[in-house]
Amino acid sequence: MIDLVRLTDVNKVYQGGITGALNGVSISVEKGEFAAIMGPSGSGKSTMLNLIAGLDRPTSGTITVGGTDLAKLSEGGLARFRRDTIGFVFQFFYLLSNLTALENVLIPAQLKGGDAKAHARDLLDKLGIKEVADKYPARLSGGQQQRVAIARALINNPMLLLADEPTGALDTHSGDQVMELLGGLHRDGQTILLVTHDAKLATRNAARVLSVVDGRIVDDARLESPERAASEVIRVRSEETSR
Amino acid sequence: MTAVIVKALADLRRRRLQAGVIFVTVLLSIAAGTMAVTLMSQTRDPYQAAFQAQKGAHLQVAYKAGTDPRLLSTTPAAIGATAFGGPYPVSTIQFKFKEQKFFVDAVGRDNPLGDVEVLNITSGRWAQANDEIVLTRSFADLHGISIGDRVKVTSVAQTPLLSVVGEVVDIDEGSADLSSQRAWVQAAAIPSLTSPDSSYYLMDYRFAADPTRAQLQGYTDRLRAALPAGSITGSLNYILIRNIFNITNQILTGVLSAFSIFALAATLAIVATLVTGIVISAYREIGIMKAIGFMPAEVVGVFALQIVIPALAACMLGIPLGTIVSQPLLANSSHALGLSYTPSFSIGMDLMILAAGLLVVAIAATLPALRAGLLKPIAAIAKASAPRGAGGRLLRTSAARAHLPRPVVLGIGDALARPLRAVLTLVTVLLGVATVVVAVGLPRSFLLINNSATGAGNYQVVVTRTSAYPDSEVMRVLKAQPETARVVAIGGQNITVPGVLDPVNTRLYRGDSSRLGFLVIAGRWFSAPGEVLAPAALLRDAHLKIGDSFTGSTDGQVLQLRVVGETYDINNFGHSLFMDLATMASTKPAIEPYMYDVTLASGADVAAYVHRVAAVQPDLIDVHASDTSIITPVQIIDLVLLVIAGVLALIGIGGVFNTLLLNTRERIRDTATLKALGMSPRQVMAMVTASAAFLALIGGVVAMPVGLYLHHVLNDVISNSAGNDTPPAAYAVFNAYELVLIPLLAVAVASVAALVPGRWAARTNVVEVLHAE
Amino acid sequence: MSLKYGVLGLLKGEPLHGYEVKNRFEAMLGGTWEVNIGQIYTTLQRLERDGLVKPVGQRGDRRKLQYELSDAGQKALDQWLAQPDSGPQQLHEDIYVKLLLATRIANGDLQPMLARQKRTYLQRLRDLNRLEERARHDGRIDLARLVRGALLHTEADLKWMDELSSERFGAEEAE
Repeated sequence: MIDLVRLTDVNKVYQGGITGALNGVSISVEKGEFAAIMGPSGSGKSTMLNLIAGLDRPTSGTITVGGTDLAKLSEGGLARFRRDTIGFVFQFFYLLSNLTALENVLIPAQLKGGDAKAHARDLLDKLGIKEVADKYPARLSGGQQQRVAIARALINNPMLLLADEPTGALDTHSGDQVMELLGGLHRDGQTILLVTHDAKLATRNAARVLSVVDGRIVDDARLESPERAASEVIRVRSEETSR
Repeated sequence: MTAVIVKALADLRRRRLQAGVIFVTVLLSIAAGTMAVTLMSQTRDPYQAAFQAQKGAHLQVAYKAGTDPRLLSTTPAAIGATAFGGPYPVSTIQFKFKEQKFFVDAVGRDNPLGDVEVLNITSGRWAQANDEIVLTRSFADLHGISIGDRVKVTSVAQTPLLSVVGEVVDIDEGSADLSSQRAWVQAAAIPSLTSPDSSYYLMDYRFAADPTRAQLQGYTDRLRAALPAGSITGSLNYILIRNIFNITNQILTGVLSAFSIFALAATLAIVATLVTGIVISAYREIGIMKAIGFMPAEVVGVFALQIVIPALAACMLGIPLGTIVSQPLLANSSHALGLSYTPSFSIGMDLMILAAGLLVVAIAATLPALRAGLLKPIAAIAKASAPRGAGGRLLRTSAARAHLPRPVVLGIGDALARPLRAVLTLVTVLLGVATVVVAVGLPRSFLLINNSATGAGNYQVVVTRTSAYPDSEVMRVLKAQPETARVVAIGGQNITVPGVLDPVNTRLYRGDSSRLGFLVIAGRWFSAPGEVLAPAALLRDAHLKIGDSFTGSTDGQVLQLRVVGETYDINNFGHSLFMDLATMASTKPAIEPYMYDVTLASGADVAAYVHRVAAVQPDLIDVHASDTSIITPVQIIDLVLLVIAGVLALIGIGGVFNTLLLNTRERIRDTATLKALGMSPRQVMAMVTASAAFLALIGGVVAMPVGLYLHHVLNDVISNSAGNDTPPAAYAVFNAYELVLIPLLAVAVASVAALVPGRWAARTNVVEVLHAE
Repeated sequence: MSLKYGVLGLLKGEPLHGYEVKNRFEAMLGGTWEVNIGQIYTTLQRLERDGLVKPVGQRGDRRKLQYELSDAGQKALDQWLAQPDSGPQQLHEDIYVKLLLATRIANGDLQPMLARQKRTYLQRLRDLNRLEERARHDGRIDLARLVRGALLHTEADLKWMDELSSERFGAEEAE
């Protein structure tokens, strides 16, 4: 099986004390994986995502996504790569405020030069927000906005979905819903890379957790998901029984 | 206060580009405004000064040659003139200098001084012998005649030689390229220079106070009553002369003030846009400023100062610039009047312009800044930037429906995202494009009128004869030339029209005059004796309309005339008549034409023709190619229009540029998001360019009717100020494709202006912008 | 202690015999606490002795003997529910002791141990997530709440591991 994403000895140095540098990162992500990247703020986890999305270029090292070496792409080529291959979900949604939900979803398709209105409506339906299609972002709740942003990320059927703290600006309930959604997408075969600092959410769907500390991958945990009896997981004890 | 200035200066450094836009637009508009104000304040003064200094005549009357001079000397008392000059014998002569021949009215006058019409000798001396002549300075300058030169009088058979001994400034005349000129000889010399039918007496009258037009009318009526019928052949009043003298500057002043108001309006629109934009983008900062103790008024001060400082710098440069640029125009009028030129500016006035300019700019800056002053600190800190509306949805939907590429649709949406800003920007574009339309159209209208007056395309050669060479001979010579296609002969006569002060200059045509290219504004060209055309002013002043009949008189003879059309006459402030020579021949059979407009067969060599015909009779006829060049005042107006259009176009570009800068800065996060979603740098450029192009297109399209209307109005104002209605053809000087091309040009220019903000947006660093939350 | 009050709580609704108490208790705990029937009978006997429960009907086959709450039992249950949990923090897991020992034995190099522990916690989070999911799926919101508590505890444990393994903490240790 070919790795969808491969980072080889990637370094990223920022001038002027900006945190988030990377220091010799090498990872690979297979097609169909749901991997979470975790780490404290400033550890470089967002930098990894930005580099994989082609939003930024590494100081050294190579990054290939779907077999394409990103270093070989021009600015315009990177833009095309992002719009064709990547879906990106941001912490703060970044919907265009003067466009309706549906229009926001359509943008990547239209930048590509196609019309995908039916697909967009299907996506909104699938994400449970078809009723907000013609509303402006300011009228939507955070959770709805993030779901619109996810629909936008999916409109071009990207090979890879990148999500940078997608629940970071949401309340617990909305965050749960968004994670639920990502889990569903994963079950349907979507490859997802999720940056989060919330281990509860990360482990809900991701069977793989990459821990980043100070720009280095310190752990690459692949989690099992067998059916376990409750008693194997939690034991409620009392003084009485131990007595 | 120190904190306010320190903060304002710091912000200025950060917004250098915008400060530059303010500087340039304020500079241009304040310079234009200063020019307008300087010209306006000076226009009337030089003539008035010269009129007083030289004891100018309020009324000049020409009397038939045979009138008894003793009778004439009683006329001043009859009309209550406080001073008078004359009677001076006058003879219209033609003289030859080098290869050129000129007509002048030679006035027999022994002394340049006196109670009325003092002549200001600018060089040389007065004529003391019978073979000496004094010319006007502008005439001598124009034709390169110097003191000591000799001219040969060709209008009398003896062809005497006269020496030029002096140059004077005559305030009765405009510059030599525009109007016929006088010359002065000893009174005793007149008889020897007089050919039959070419002499008259001139009387100058001056009154205690400047008379009104009605009073002047009363005086001439009284003179007519007191003298035998037909004694008065012509008259000239000071109001007309002053108007002739001032018309160029008046038009210039009018055009300049109108357009400097445009420029100022456009500048204010930019200032307001900019301040609103700065306030919006500095929302959080305003909150912080307030939180650390800036008073609301101080916050407003910080924003207003950011505009006022570059505006002040622009004024410091623009006001002197405007003053300096207006000097040549002022010097021109002083020179024509023989006044010594002194740089004319007033520190007081300049300070007033400075104060007014700064005040207006400050108000335009303060009003939008008040919003910042009123902002609640907590609300301001909480929101990173001001809330924005979801404007332009309809437009976006229709643009999307038109299957425009998404970046273009987004750009168009951005253009209207802030409606007030869009409107202000449209105003700047509109004013710029409308002015360009005017600057393109008016010179063409002028050219059209000029061509009709100079016969461009209708006749190529103009021949004038002296009375020593008969009309029949001229016609024979011209007919003998194989290239001659058509000859229209022209005579002149003054006709008294009821209700009109001065006898009306009348042109009499023999031949197919309808094909000389005269502009018929209403009605038709005359086709039978007794039919006349006149410009608007004469029709108005004589209370005539097309179809009316009236009785004119000349030499005491009455003429039954009927108005059949309205025409355009660049001369005489619209007081002229056009008719068939035969109309006059019925009452005055002796009248003969003296000028011939000759149309040559197509392809004929004009120079060879002129040369050949001139050689037939070197002294007694003058042959020259028709001069179709544009007169100097019109050239000046054209130039000023061009400059003004350039200024407003630049301000318009500044407006678009400024708005794009603000829009792209405010939308940097959206741009970064779009880039993250896969918008390529080229698509970003397309988006910003579409914004600019859209504004320019809308502004340009709206500007076309506005510009055409302005062109219409200015045509009317200028035509009316010269006593005419605008010929319909002067309105219709635009081609259909130009009406499309001009807005498209605006679009192209705006797209170029979009390059800088566009590139800036295309280079947005997504990571920095999106992670700076 | 809680088994006693758990039984009291279950009897508050209706009279139950021993097996019913066992089944209902285990169902309530969703398999997170297994008890044997002997414990239940012992508890019931103690409660009866203390006058907190009383048998319903004739005393015969103890497997069919039902108990119900007495007035004193009702009062004791109410008191217990009203009283906040206090007492010292419970740290049952071995990691606390291991940590203390490891700093002495392994020359302060905790990293391998922390990494292994961290993985365990991650796996536990995943398991708890599934458990919570299942509880919700089964309509057991009360149970899901209990699992949620466990999740948050584990998250805290994980954060603790991160803090321990961060260099800054290590630097303090070295001083």
